[in-house]
Amino acid sequence: MPRIVGIDLGTTNSLVAIVENGTPRVIPGADGSNLVPSVVFFEEGGNVLVGNPARAKMIESPRNTVFSIKRFMGKGLADVRDDLALLPFEVSPSSDSIVRLKIFNREYTAPQISSFILRELKRNAEAALGEEVVNAVITVPAYFNDAQRQATKDAGRIAGLDVLRIVNEPTAASLAYGLQERRHGTIAVYDFGGGTFDISILKLSDGIFEVLSTNGDTHLGGDDIDEQLIRFVLADLKLDESTPSLPAIRAGAKKAKEDLSSADNAEIAVESLAYRRRITRAEFDKLIEPIVERTLKSCRLALQDAGLQPSGIDEVVMVGGSTRIPLVLSRVQALFGRVPHTGLNPDEVVALGAAVQADILAGGKRDMLLLDVTPLALGIETMGGVMSKIIPRNSTIPASASERFTTFVDGQTNVKVHVLQGERELVQDCRSLAQFDLKGIPPMPAGLPIIEVKFLIDADGILSVSAQEQRTGQYQSVAVKPTYGLTDEEVERMILDSFEHAESDIEAREIIEARNEAERVLRATAKSTERTEFAQLSADEQAGIKLAADQLQEIVKVADHRAIREATERLDQATHHLAEIIMNATIAEKLKDKRVREIE
Amino acid sequence: MNYFEVFGLPRVLSLDLKALEKTFHELSRRYHPDYFTTAPAEERQKALQMTATLNDAYRTLRHPVRRVEHLLEIEGFKPDGSKVPKSFLMEVFEINEQLEEVKAGSAGKEQVEALRREVEERAKGFEQQLQRAADDWDKLSAAGPSEEQRKQQLSRLTDILSESSYIRNLQRDLEETS
Repeated sequence: MPRIVGIDLGTTNSLVAIVENGTPRVIPGADGSNLVPSVVFFEEGGNVLVGNPARAKMIESPRNTVFSIKRFMGKGLADVRDDLALLPFEVSPSSDSIVRLKIFNREYTAPQISSFILRELKRNAEAALGEEVVNAVITVPAYFNDAQRQATKDAGRIAGLDVLRIVNEPTAASLAYGLQERRHGTIAVYDFGGGTFDISILKLSDGIFEVLSTNGDTHLGGDDIDEQLIRFVLADLKLDESTPSLPAIRAGAKKAKEDLSSADNAEIAVESLAYRRRITRAEFDKLIEPIVERTLKSCRLALQDAGLQPSGIDEVVMVGGSTRIPLVLSRVQALFGRVPHTGLNPDEVVALGAAVQADILAGGKRDMLLLDVTPLALGIETMGGVMSKIIPRNSTIPASASERFTTFVDGQTNVKVHVLQGERELVQDCRSLAQFDLKGIPPMPAGLPIIEVKFLIDADGILSVSAQEQRTGQYQSVAVKPTYGLTDEEVERMILDSFEHAESDIEAREIIEARNEAERVLRATAKSTERTEFAQLSADEQAGIKLAADQLQEIVKVADHRAIREATERLDQATHHLAEIIMNATIAEKLKDKRVREIE
Repeated sequence: MNYFEVFGLPRVLSLDLKALEKTFHELSRRYHPDYFTTAPAEERQKALQMTATLNDAYRTLRHPVRRVEHLLEIEGFKPDGSKVPKSFLMEVFEINEQLEEVKAGSAGKEQVEALRREVEERAKGFEQQLQRAADDWDKLSAAGPSEEQRKQQLSRLTDILSESSYIRNLQRDLEETS
């Protein structure tokens, strides 16, 4: 069985982990850091930086440094208009069904940008494990809808990963937690991250992790808390969102927020504006109170769906960076009436859990099994714009339902079906997932054909549809057109693009490295030809060095790393004798010095 | 699809939920797609279908109302028209009017509480009725009923379900209003 890694593709940070000898561990990047900031910096020529080096560019190059892209996954322009007010990105007009960011005249969708982060994690894992990594489990917020899950899977495919499973973040966390803790009982996982909030209630019995209910908000996280602070500073400075200092204000706000997790007061400092302001914990708590209250409302709904009182929860587990905020901790403690667990690192626990799930899939752990649920009801549009639910929320997945359709007109050969996700009664209040036509229905009098459509939500929480006409037993073609997201053809094209991109990435890196080496050798040659020892060489040797150096000067301008390396090598060879002479002279000099000193 | 068969059960309505859960966990361990990641595509697909059916069955059977609805479906019982008594409909209509007042915000707190109590009491009443009818169905089917007895019992279950659905709707409306 090839290796399967677990990936936490987060709003703020992403991680990759693996189980070795039964224990999950996070794989650090080349810089030794476990967290790879989910930031992608685009250079004008198309080069891409990911993680810490990209984050360092956020203030100086805000328009081509993309962060928090997870908030755009599976979304159309109308969904993210409010976010865009506070973000410096340019958006392509053709963004209705999927947001396309414009960076240096190229368009990038959220799955593509996420794929750069995934590729970085893949590289880190490959470097650490010394083998190619293709299989992965990727986590998503439990409350992600079908389109958001599909977008995550697409991102994986574009990054060259075979995504074997999409796992819900709080459930993944419970796996990591369950490894070392109790075997029986009811646990609540409160997962408050950079961009999303989830609450999941699970029942543990002998290795079976059964999710009873889940609730949340895929647009509620640390970013929203930052936004409160940013607006607070903007009001203070009498500035609006369009200020070019926004990235600097964001950085100052984030820093103050983090400081307030351990201090009673902190300073919001924006150097470029010479702005300094002290904010107390009490002021901060007041700002974020409504956000925390929204998370508690979700908790109450999840408890209700699980048929439990807060006292029925045996353990509360805290996951995600935003759970470091003291107000969050105290409110959660008050709601459940017990001290939440904070033992595991809230930034790493999801990735560790993803690695555990990967290990289960690889056949490592057969005693553990995760039974997750679909967070939202699945339904279809019926007469009068009403949503008719066919799979209720919190159904264990995989789940399926069949629905029968018929024709309204004699000889009708098509029936349109509109699939929705959501809890509301009216179609307009639910999320449109897809529309499809049941085609090729045998012509019959109205109402006679019976087409049975089977809706299947798989273990990733992603929907597929099949249809069969009952009288003829004929399978119908179902071409599902997703309302939000990429078509299969688009994903295929992006995979091809990414290969080119990856190749040109490597090519670009090789050229840069070759040029650096060439320039180092040229500088060294220039220095050594100025030395007196140069005169000791034969005229041929002197001419040879000059020729090789001149050639390299020219070739270094050409974008061909092999030619550059060859010319560098030739110059190196030509200067070999000179280097020897200089070395000997230096040693003789040193010895002389030593003798002088010894005599003294 | 007979969900009782998935669990190796006869068509009984009084179920031991603990035992049902135990079987659900055992079957999940046998069929879950997680254990077939490396299997050929055909087996993987089969595991997915089996587990989906198992989950559908468990979701249906552990819920007292869905369980009865499923029984009626697999028994192929088609009631001849609605038999919800007019007097009952009038009562529902009255409660509904009070609910409208609550929604419009013209009802006092006490009135809302009284309404909630009334709806809850009725819901409990139906729960008990359904439980009794379910027990009767089990006794009857164990004894080997005549076609006539069977139809009569199914018809009783149908009536209880359709009447209680009005109350369930009211309950949901009340929840959404508060």
